[in-house]
Amino acid sequence: MSAATWRQFFSFNKYSQITASALRRSLNETERLAAEKRGTTNVRYQNWANGEGGQQVVLNPPAETPKASA
Amino acid sequence: MSALRLLSSAARRTPKSIPLGRRGYAEVADKIKLSLVLPHQAIFTSADVTQVNIAAATGDMGILANHVPSIEPLRPGIVEVIESGNASKKWFVSGGFATVHPNNKLTINAVEAAPLEAFSAEAIRTNLAEAQRITAGNGTEEQKAEARIELEFYEALQHAVATK
Repeated sequence: MSAATWRQFFSFNKYSQITASALRRSLNETERLAAEKRGTTNVRYQNWANGEGGQQVVLNPPAETPKASA
Repeated sequence: MSALRLLSSAARRTPKSIPLGRRGYAEVADKIKLSLVLPHQAIFTSADVTQVNIAAATGDMGILANHVPSIEPLRPGIVEVIESGNASKKWFVSGGFATVHPNNKLTINAVEAAPLEAFSAEAIRTNLAEAQRITAGNGTEEQKAEARIELEFYEALQHAVATK
């Protein structure tokens, strides 16, 4: 890690996340299911104009059927 | 004459012996307070332990009680905790920081860590092959850099699990 060439591409935070997800992928079956959930991030955004919120957009929507939400 | 009296009274005021911190080399009576924490779980919270071996980026080190304050980034590797006697527990951490505080406390922050039994050698082998394939392939430099990080990680993990 010390003589790192990845520094030209990634921040330290990104490096930490890469190694963390590599660890999660190497666990055995039972542990991996719980661990994979920790690695997922979901983003949902909405534009506001004139005090009104626009359409909520989910970035990279999950494949399963989404729950009905406001 | 008055200067001499001042000097002697000053000498009487100083303590006869300055108490020194007792410090030997082989004693294990002193313990360091370890907090080994992940974002989702606190493995140790201010627990008294005898020794902690960590894989710092600058080399492996063992931390005993009253260690000099220091901040060490960790490379993917094993953190070994010796609580008392000869029994030790090992975790493989993905990376993070080990901070020795001035008041005999050690904090290890890691993003992910798991005991060596929790890993699957098969999964490691598959992931290692995949990372090697991407490194040697023709993706972007960024993808290759990511694969190289993972390659280092899987090699360290494979070595740790194999020689546990």
